[in-house]
Amino acid sequence: MNVIREWRTFKAIFVRNIKLFTAYKAWVIATVIWPIPLLALNILQWGLFGTLGEVSETLEQSGFPPLAGTIIVGTIVYLLYNRLLWGTGVSIQSERWMGTIEVLFVTPTNKMTVLLASGVSSLVEASWWIVCIFGMSWMLFGVQPSITSWPTVFLCLVSTMVALLAVGVFFGGFFVLTRAADQLASGLQAPIRFFSGVAFPVNVLPQTLQFVSFVIPVTYGILTLRDSILSGGDINTIWLNIVALYAMAAIFLVLAHFTIKAVERRAKKNGTLYMF
Amino acid sequence: MPVYAIETKNLTKVFEKKAKIEGKGLKHFFRRVRPKKEELVAVDHINLGIKEGELFGLLGPNGAGKTTTIKLLSTLLIPDEGTATVNGYDVSKQPREVQQSIGVVTGGERGLYWRLTGRENLWFFSQLYNIPDRVAKKRIDELLPLVELEKRADEHVEKYSRGMKQRLHVIRGLVNDPPIILMDEPTLGLDPGSARVIRDFVKNELQGKQNKTILHTTHYMEEADQLCDRIAIIDNGKIIALDTPEKLKKKIRRTDIISMNVSNLQQADEKKLQAIDGVKKAVIAFTDPTVGKASIKIHCDNAEEVMPVATEFLIRNGARIMTLEQTKPTLEDVFISMTGRKLRD
Repeated sequence: MNVIREWRTFKAIFVRNIKLFTAYKAWVIATVIWPIPLLALNILQWGLFGTLGEVSETLEQSGFPPLAGTIIVGTIVYLLYNRLLWGTGVSIQSERWMGTIEVLFVTPTNKMTVLLASGVSSLVEASWWIVCIFGMSWMLFGVQPSITSWPTVFLCLVSTMVALLAVGVFFGGFFVLTRAADQLASGLQAPIRFFSGVAFPVNVLPQTLQFVSFVIPVTYGILTLRDSILSGGDINTIWLNIVALYAMAAIFLVLAHFTIKAVERRAKKNGTLYMF
Repeated sequence: MPVYAIETKNLTKVFEKKAKIEGKGLKHFFRRVRPKKEELVAVDHINLGIKEGELFGLLGPNGAGKTTTIKLLSTLLIPDEGTATVNGYDVSKQPREVQQSIGVVTGGERGLYWRLTGRENLWFFSQLYNIPDRVAKKRIDELLPLVELEKRADEHVEKYSRGMKQRLHVIRGLVNDPPIILMDEPTLGLDPGSARVIRDFVKNELQGKQNKTILHTTHYMEEADQLCDRIAIIDNGKIIALDTPEKLKKKIRRTDIISMNVSNLQQADEKKLQAIDGVKKAVIAFTDPTVGKASIKIHCDNAEEVMPVATEFLIRNGARIMTLEQTKPTLEDVFISMTGRKLRD
């Protein structure tokens, strides 16, 4: 592998994506607005059962973690996952829509690098969510974080991003073959949101459903971040989940590597690469 | 150094397509769910040898297999049979080396990022070819004036005219300075002025000054005639003729050609025209069927004998003859003589 070549490809894709993202002002504004009602909905729906404070207190008495904080962390991880699913997973499909897939595929680029760069640019585009949602939510819902180790929080965040990036790259490779990438991505949103426990701890799910939860990296991202931010967890308490995140990242990246090759070859054999 | 810059041996590409759905009711429904597949041979055992520095044309009607051939040579498709080498590299086994050796220029509005500037588009593609930043910027500055885009280089591509986009396409294909350029209908849909600029650039700059090997597909016979050193005529995926434009035309020089433009023609009486004594081929192409406007080409042994009979036949059937002339053979006539159809049918 020629590192300089891969770096040039990475840089080109990253710069292009950021330029295209900022070229659509409406898209930037929509991205800013979009997470706010989602987060509010997740939290305020509990108001049906009483004031948020009362509901949270009642839940905490039965072993439920702090309500608003649980949902805020879950929503942030879910939004990052969602951004990567659309930004990376559907990136090849976007090339089809823009009519550039052919000119991209006749260049001697490594498609894995193309997808990784798309993933990193998606994370950069979405990174403000982490800061803004945390800040805004804490102000709106008065949640007090219980952080004992900032490096642990940082490690959790980075590990979660790496795992989510790997998932995005895997989907990106897989979606080369299909013309229905956007439909598949849409179809994956709700199940992932449910099984990863965005708005509740996954241990409240029936045992059989929890099995599904624990093969999804998003679940581990949410667990580690909740632990480090809300329960004062440090490296000793979260290391297992961090290992799980990197193991999943490795699995998904290896799968992506082979999937991209196989799928690109099949698309070129069938002549479906450039079809809408 | 390979003998040919581009060489294909029995190159074949077969696609699966859904068969026409017949039947009614449940049968029709289930056939829609699981339609039968048919095979479509898009490129059928073609053999080409394109020399270094040659401007080679692939001429044929829509759906003849020109674009599929370009896609096979540019590694966008994998052949089902046969082999192809580009710059000495096998398209199936050494795709990276092939990609490094070629520039691909497509026609139409696609293939550029409209919300990036022309310069940003060129820089983006230069990086995908692993060109150092400084070298890329210098090369972009050299390429832009060649197609007179230097003054508009920092505007978004969406603001470009169709002709400007096409010129940007052409230099995008040159950004890696490839020895071989594959051009797929680069003048498609352009106004005559813009098409001429592209043609001049291809002939004078790319072939004349830079000595690039160019494979140029088109269904414009005049373009192929003017530009290309040699031409392969392709139809239904098969190469049906291959030679220099002059030699191709010479092959039918003994044939007289009558060209007519008529109106009020009620129906395409090709068979009746063809039945006239001395007529070898007769082809009618409607340009405006609502008023029966059509162009007619008649290939015959002796125009002086056939012309009065054919005109009388047409007038008797209500057609009005607008123009009538005996013409020299064109590449389209070569195509007609071989297939019985016009290039733009």
